[in-house]
Amino acid sequence: MAEVVLRCEGLRKAYGTVVAIDDLGIEITEGETYGLLGPNGAGKTTAISMIVGILARDAGSVTIDGQPHDVHRTATKRLIGYVPQELALYPDLTGRENLHFFGRLHGLSGRELRRRGDEVLDVVGLSDRAGQRVRTYSGGMSRRLHIGVGLLNRPRLLVLDEPTVGVDPQSRNAILDNVRQLAGQGMAVLYTTHYMEEAERLCDRVGIIDSGRLRAEGTRRDLVTMLDREDEVELLADGDLAAAAQALAELAEVSAVDVREAGLRLLVAEAGPNLPQILATTGRAGVTVRSVQVREPNLESVFLHLTGKALRD
Amino acid sequence: MTSPQFRIRPRRIRTVFAIAGVQLRLLFRQRLSVFWVIVAPLLFVFVLGLQFGGGQPPRLAVVNEGNGLVAQRLVDALDADDRLTVIELVGADQLRTDVQRGRADAGLVIPAELDAVVSSGGQATVEYLARPSNPTAADLGVWVRAVISQQATLVRAAQVATGENAGTFRQNLDRTGTVEVPGVTVVADTVGTTPFPDGINPYALMAPSMLLLYVFLTSLTAALRVIETRRRGITRRMYATPTTAGTIVAGEALGRFGIALTQGLIVMAGSALLFGVDWGSPPAAAALLVLFCLVASGVAMLVGAVLRNEGPALGICLGLGLGLGAAGGAMVPLELLGGPARTVASFTPHAWAYQGFTELVRHGGGITDIAPQLGVLAGFAVVLFTLGTRWLRRGIVR
Ligand SMILES: Nc1ncnc2c1ncn2[C@@H]1O[C@H](COP(=O)(O)OP(=O)(O)OP(=O)(O)O)[C@@H](O)[C@H]1O
Ligand SMILES: [Mg+2]
Repeated sequence: MAEVVLRCEGLRKAYGTVVAIDDLGIEITEGETYGLLGPNGAGKTTAISMIVGILARDAGSVTIDGQPHDVHRTATKRLIGYVPQELALYPDLTGRENLHFFGRLHGLSGRELRRRGDEVLDVVGLSDRAGQRVRTYSGGMSRRLHIGVGLLNRPRLLVLDEPTVGVDPQSRNAILDNVRQLAGQGMAVLYTTHYMEEAERLCDRVGIIDSGRLRAEGTRRDLVTMLDREDEVELLADGDLAAAAQALAELAEVSAVDVREAGLRLLVAEAGPNLPQILATTGRAGVTVRSVQVREPNLESVFLHLTGKALRD
Repeated sequence: MTSPQFRIRPRRIRTVFAIAGVQLRLLFRQRLSVFWVIVAPLLFVFVLGLQFGGGQPPRLAVVNEGNGLVAQRLVDALDADDRLTVIELVGADQLRTDVQRGRADAGLVIPAELDAVVSSGGQATVEYLARPSNPTAADLGVWVRAVISQQATLVRAAQVATGENAGTFRQNLDRTGTVEVPGVTVVADTVGTTPFPDGINPYALMAPSMLLLYVFLTSLTAALRVIETRRRGITRRMYATPTTAGTIVAGEALGRFGIALTQGLIVMAGSALLFGVDWGSPPAAAALLVLFCLVASGVAMLVGAVLRNEGPALGICLGLGLGLGAAGGAMVPLELLGGPARTVASFTPHAWAYQGFTELVRHGGGITDIAPQLGVLAGFAVVLFTLGTRWLRRGIVR
């Protein structure tokens, strides 16, 4: 069994009458990437701030590597790498100077500091721009440096708060690859996002958060299965659509068929393995299929199902 | 015996210096700040020093009440002397005002009857006017006397020739190439008063004012960095590292103090090296500087901790920096402020520090002479520094 790195239980934070986080519990093990998925204002940053130890919690507990953790514990803060949502860098310092500054706060100095700074620059691919001021960096480069700062202390738990916001797809892929690699090295990663695709691609497990509460948690498959929803198959087709629909309805895997203006819409328990049979049946009914589209339920649908609203507003 | 909480940990001190160091580094990162921090204050010391008479040739205002030959020759001869600049004026009243206001270092009134008196061999009187104890005017007086006696010799020669019946006085005077005034007596007089002692380096008059003005201005504008650091979330990120809130605040405070001190030292050292300003007793000057820098950095921290956005903060900071400077006698010298303005000034740290520096620079005072000023500044420093650090800390621990 992999060791548990982060364990938090019963976390709660209220701002006046707004309960930003209510009874949040999360566990993340070594090498695991956990995604906290939720819309704007769901409470992701509030949750992360309490976990990192920069915001005092109203209730609950956090342990890092089994040690109790809160805002005053520097011993456990040593184990955490934190990448905040906003770009927390000095624009008038160079990339290397920014790394060295935060490295010093982590207790690095001298040759060790310089070596670690260069390693991190290499990891985030900024070695050739390290001597230039951050002000001159592109958005993606600043983001990468920003993530680099979180890696300086070789954390046990890396916490990233929406690290890909406002980043072009190429930089975004680079960032996601970086995170995956780091997790591969045994780091536990807590990652918040409101991009469903990112959570699906990157995270071993996903927690869906809305209005301060964790609504569901599990692997992507777990969550989709929980939804108990079928795949949707859309056929663009010409011919005797009614006859084809009748034939398709008799297949065991097909639970519903709709005749549309330019084709058919089917609900199928599992679309992939049944596609050949579906196409054969329509062919026999004298219908020519011009295109097929399969829509599997995704985290977006799970979210919609759980909260009754779309993930992005 | 030290209790564990108060043990000084070397790592913590390194962190405090790392945080402070970044602030100092950032101070010089913007191209313009080199101008504002180094060039501008020293330039002001220079320009204002010139106004008090350094560098330029002294200005002699001259009123020629008549239009005689002798008088005109005297004016021309003064004008030809390149140790001084002649400003010709009409009317003795204008001259008197100009000397009083410092537009001229001294004035010379040549009476209308000069030519008549002199050509008939009589004794004429010109009036020389200066502010009391203006060293420049004293030099000027010597030169004016020299020119006049030179002219007098020539007039005497012309008169001798006329006496021998070798042509008219005018012809003879032309022949000598100059005038003579048989003993023109120079009557010296003084107008106005001076707050400044004899023989002081003119740059030393404004250097303390510029030090006070700029230490505050630079501290306050650099306080925008405190706001930026918080707004960008850098402070929170620092807090996420194994750094306590106290260490972060200490680092910020040291950084603020370092900036103020750097600015103060630049004005002190720069004016001493470039313009020979003597800041007086070193321990006393150091004590004044350190206390005033503590006050300035306390205000900077308070402003930086209370305000949230750099935009409005910039206006407030400039307003505070210039306003306190003006009210405290760092722009218009404190001595020239009237009664009510003087009362207002006593509520600013500037006025106290100004008095302290004046005592050291102009009157050669020592640390005991400025004890009251040091005491008041220490009070300002304790209150403002405490408020500033408290407030800053409150922004971190939420
Ligand atoms: N300092 C604060 N004072 C008052 N309310 C706050 C504060 N910080 C957050 N909130 C409220 O708490 C709730 C959760 O905010 P939080 O920033 O944690 O959301 P988020 O999921 O990170 O959103 P986003 O995706 O926009 O970053 C919101 O309703 C927000 O308005
Ligand atoms: Mg957020």
